[in-house]
Amino acid sequence: MSASTAVPSLGSVEGHPTTLLRVLRSEWIKIRTLRSTWITVAAIVLAILLFGVISAMVASGDISPQGGGPGAGRARALGPLATVLAGANLSVLIVAVMGSIAGAREFSTGMIRTSFSAVPKRLPVLWSKLIAFTAVVLPVVAISIVLVFFLGMRILDAGGAATVAWSDDGVARSVLGMAYYVVGLGIIGLAIGFLLRSTAASIGVVIGAVIFLPALASALLPSSWDEVLKYLPSNAATAFTGTNQVGTTLLTPGIGFLVFTAWIVLAVVGAALVLGRRDA
Amino acid sequence: MIEVQDLTKRYGDVTAVDGISFTVPPGIVTGFLGPNGAGKSTTMRAILGLDRPTSGTATVNGRSFRDATAPLTELGAMLEAKAVDKGRSARNHLLAVAATIGVGRARVDEILEMVGLADVAKKNAGGFSLGMSQRLGIATALVGNPGVVMLDEPVNGLDPDGILWIRNLLKQLAVEGRTVFVSSHLMSEMELTAEHLIVIGRGRILADVSMEGFIAMSSQHRVIVDSPDASRLRDLLAGPGVTITSPEPSRLEIDGSTAPHVGEVAAAHGIVLHQLADIAPSLEEAFMELTADSVTFHGSISSDGAAA
Repeated sequence: MSASTAVPSLGSVEGHPTTLLRVLRSEWIKIRTLRSTWITVAAIVLAILLFGVISAMVASGDISPQGGGPGAGRARALGPLATVLAGANLSVLIVAVMGSIAGAREFSTGMIRTSFSAVPKRLPVLWSKLIAFTAVVLPVVAISIVLVFFLGMRILDAGGAATVAWSDDGVARSVLGMAYYVVGLGIIGLAIGFLLRSTAASIGVVIGAVIFLPALASALLPSSWDEVLKYLPSNAATAFTGTNQVGTTLLTPGIGFLVFTAWIVLAVVGAALVLGRRDA
Repeated sequence: MIEVQDLTKRYGDVTAVDGISFTVPPGIVTGFLGPNGAGKSTTMRAILGLDRPTSGTATVNGRSFRDATAPLTELGAMLEAKAVDKGRSARNHLLAVAATIGVGRARVDEILEMVGLADVAKKNAGGFSLGMSQRLGIATALVGNPGVVMLDEPVNGLDPDGILWIRNLLKQLAVEGRTVFVSSHLMSEMELTAEHLIVIGRGRILADVSMEGFIAMSSQHRVIVDSPDASRLRDLLAGPGVTITSPEPSRLEIDGSTAPHVGEVAAAHGIVLHQLADIAPSLEEAFMELTADSVTFHGSISSDGAAA
């Protein structure tokens, strides 16, 4: 080849077959190199720990809101588990939003066309995004929730308030179930992000339809609807997180777990089916 | 090698691409020309597997791109320069893309150096100018050292230096035996880089010819002559198949004759000439002529039959 070209040679790099593992590595680089990932992770940890601890301090009388208002009494009425998991309930919103953004972000920026040009089979991109998202969120959420459980119970105990122990019947299930619910909603958000391809729309659907609608429906619809409403994602999850909503008709924890899992599978399968057919 | 067979793509009622077939061979730069909305990007998206054809096929190296084992090593493409995540640096963007074919840092740094982005590799791609984004898009296309390179409007937003760079790059890629398929609406640019042209208008192939063949296809071949005795020359040249117009009193524009013939006639009658020129149409003019219909009717709602 001629020696004097203005363009340096392209080099002779050898590429390798695009396997699921390589796509996963690619998605891992993507999620790790976005600053928003780590800001959101910090927000999750902070929400779970800080609000759990504050809630426990209020319930134990260490601090009293509005000069000894009804806060302490109400916190006590919720039960010790719900008290220490107050922050975990807040983290549901953060993780659901994070999942929606993880799913829809590339469609909004146009990056998805670069991703699909590198992986034209497309499905490995969805699987890898799910795995990378779970790999970041699951340990953070699970460790924070377990941590706030022991921290919160210690605060309640020190303040002479009622506590429950990890080994008590259903407690471990509720605490770990809470972590499963939080991460599961994130995964549902990610799948809906792939389906709707718009961050705003998916956040709206996940927060509105998945989290708030069931609560609103149980409040507004006659109780004859409870038989149906208990199958909605957040109500099904309440059956195994067992931390609030006293008085609503709920599934048994085991069935609730299966129903909530079915919602996750439904969202992911829906995203996978649509992904292959649609123009990107 | 890219092969497109009877490709049709409809979006609802709109037919973006209407049964087109063509082959893009390796070793040369093939230009893909057409006015905006002609179907260039749709065709490229179908080749990449981003859009599913309504009917027909598009293959890369003999098979659908979706079936490629290491896609980035077969076809490197840039459709939109801005198709990057704005929260990530150029280097991390390339690292993520290159990871799909198991390629790492050394190669990414090499390609960043090659496209001239080494200095801004750690800057957020979201803050890039169009020209820098264009270079990052080209880096993304080339990082896997692909045998087929497909670029949609690569000179968009580049400064003169960048345009020269792209021109040399495309030629080098072709010399190296790669298949190079480049779309543009900048005819002058294609004239300098492409050896073969595929012209598309309203979703149909209007021409699939070599550059020389394309220019020769045009009927606008004419002779321009300046003479103080223009009106006498005009009478002498008039004849069947010859059209003469006179934009100024001393100038003639002659269709259907040649410069040597005009010169001989003038000499034989002692007519003084101040200028005599054979005007071959530029690619720009040939293109305008070829696509005039497809542009004119672009805004109409009439059916294909009525428009034709």
